[in-house]
Amino acid sequence: MFVGRIPLHRRSLLQAAGATVALTAVGGLPRVAFAVPKTIKVGLVMPATGPLAFFCEHVPFTLGQLKQTLGGKIKIHGTEHPYEIVVKDSQSSPNRAAEVTQELILKDKVDLVVGFATPETVNPVSDQCEANGIPCITSGAPLEPYFFGRKGDPKKGFDWTYHFFFSGQGLVGSLVPFFNRLDTNKRVGGLWPNDGDGLAQSDKERGFPAFYGQHGFSVVDPGRFDMPASNYNSQIAAFKAADVQIISGVVPPPEFTTFWNGAAQQGFKPRVVFVGKALEFPPAITPLGDRAIGLTTEVWWSKFHPYVSGLNGQSSAQLADAYEKASSRQWSLPLGFPHALFELVFDVLKRTQDLANAASIRDAIKATDYKSIVGPINFNKGPFPNCAQTPLVIGQWDKGKKYPYEMTIVDNSTAKDIPVGGEPHPIKYA
Amino acid sequence: MVEIWTNQILQGVLLGGLYALFAIGLSLSVGVMRFVNIAHGDLIVMISFVLLSLTGGLGLPTLAAVAIVIPISFVGGYLLQRLLLQRVLGKDVLSIILVTFGLSIVIQNALQGVYGADIRKVGGGAIETATIPLSGNINVGVLPLVIFISATLLIWLLDLLLYRSRIGARIRAVSDSVATADLVGLRSARIYAIAMAIVGATMAISAGFMAIWTNFDPTSGPSRLLIAFEAVVLGGLGNLWGTLIGGIIIGVAQAVGAQFDAAWQVLAGHIVFLAIFLTRPQGLFPKY
Repeated sequence: MFVGRIPLHRRSLLQAAGATVALTAVGGLPRVAFAVPKTIKVGLVMPATGPLAFFCEHVPFTLGQLKQTLGGKIKIHGTEHPYEIVVKDSQSSPNRAAEVTQELILKDKVDLVVGFATPETVNPVSDQCEANGIPCITSGAPLEPYFFGRKGDPKKGFDWTYHFFFSGQGLVGSLVPFFNRLDTNKRVGGLWPNDGDGLAQSDKERGFPAFYGQHGFSVVDPGRFDMPASNYNSQIAAFKAADVQIISGVVPPPEFTTFWNGAAQQGFKPRVVFVGKALEFPPAITPLGDRAIGLTTEVWWSKFHPYVSGLNGQSSAQLADAYEKASSRQWSLPLGFPHALFELVFDVLKRTQDLANAASIRDAIKATDYKSIVGPINFNKGPFPNCAQTPLVIGQWDKGKKYPYEMTIVDNSTAKDIPVGGEPHPIKYA
Repeated sequence: MVEIWTNQILQGVLLGGLYALFAIGLSLSVGVMRFVNIAHGDLIVMISFVLLSLTGGLGLPTLAAVAIVIPISFVGGYLLQRLLLQRVLGKDVLSIILVTFGLSIVIQNALQGVYGADIRKVGGGAIETATIPLSGNINVGVLPLVIFISATLLIWLLDLLLYRSRIGARIRAVSDSVATADLVGLRSARIYAIAMAIVGATMAISAGFMAIWTNFDPTSGPSRLLIAFEAVVLGGLGNLWGTLIGGIIIGVAQAVGAQFDAAWQVLAGHIVFLAIFLTRPQGLFPKY
């Protein structure tokens, strides 16, 4: 839309291209270019409003912490450079995410773009950066929907865009040892909707059913459904008829409430309930009351993680406490990731040879080998190119001390360095 | 096998009660007052948020909060009609749709501004999960049963009001022809406002049940509107009992469709609606 506002004539374009070439050539002489402080612009795209906004509750706090720690300046190879973070709201829409990323690149002329939370945000942001040759780091979406959702080729990867989070295979790999520690009949009911996550997880060959099958679990899959669903009677009836004792699903919180109340009304009492998206956030857990006790969630970050921030030296527990103090809200899983994202940004900038050169920033991202508050990040070790996989453990909700319900880590089979706080337990019914 | 089907149909019928409860207010405004209120779902969501403030903020029991909200919504409906909707009513069909559409956007964004995007729920206590085992694998949830009975009662009351009372006769007169009603000395603007006040009261009851039955957020209004519309059109304009039957048909169609494959649940409801609509565009039991 606003591209039209920039007068882009053939001649000026050629001149600009020439200038860029000249600039790149000058960039080859490092020490000279570094003497002058350059304002570094970082663009941030996130769903600050709309249905995905609950992922971004912590970002303003993280930005505040950054300002407090760095004071708006960053020291790179001996020179202090001012930096600026331009925040754009995707309004939870993929189209809007692409639009504001273009704006960041073409109008704000940012040096680096970061994107946070859900494939609906990070995929369009990354695609725009890839097309425009701007270095980009994203997080907050499982690796498969990021990599394959963008039609990534495992042999080639991407040129400009990098991503870190847990992977779907990592998730199912963490769930199976947890299920195995509980006494069940190994019958899994799939609550997989007709959306990106649901289709990926329910895939017969590459998704969860195949993996469960290999490990001796049988899967009852009543089929994809559209959301919002007014009720889950047919799924519950199918699970009841097949004597399902484990639920494995991925639906947003309102859908889970409908399912979970329906299960009670129909007298369906599964022993283990794991539902991604729905069970990670205290604001979604608290309204369930005591029926939240024993529900299972995957844990991508927690206050119990043994990792420390390379930015301000805070431990995971200290970060959670600082957040609770500042916001008077309960900490939740997404708190660690925006922090890690900016840890990474400043680590990358400190290692960049030539700040004026996008390719140089990209090379620094590529060479990342960093210990962040969410775990080690290395883009060359991921299951796919350009991706770094962060550790995952399994948690369950219990009655809390400080807050009505608190999450405890109960299984760390796939990440032994993260301490457990309790034993896995099936859901108890009155 | 028979048991599974019986169960599905039974659950579908109960679900129909809930759809009907959402649709009653719409049935009055579309069927009797003859205008389409796009903001119907958002108004219900807004009342749910008021209930949330009363129960969460002030700590009132849910039932008391609903009792407080019903008269407020009654007055709110009256004022909404008198101050806003009446100004565009009768001009042409489009302007009232645009005004209520705008209202819908204003409500959604105002709620987002005041309450944020968090997903909310009002606690209903033990009734939410209470269940009555009928036989074998068939259970009936207490809350869906209460909702179904409430919908039936509410429709019976409104039907009495509309077809057996003086004010009902006046509302119907104005609905038939504003000009003639004005000629015989009825104050049509006031009567419309009273009708909208009644719609407001039914909205408060729907909001109460919705807030207990499921989660809601500022943007969940429009998704509730579609099925309510189908129930109203299926039952026939102006027929409140028709709306109940319309809701039940959609509920049962969804339950039966889902029994084949979960992907068919929502689609089956729409297909049955379309099939009946094509053969009987006037609905099953039209009053007019």
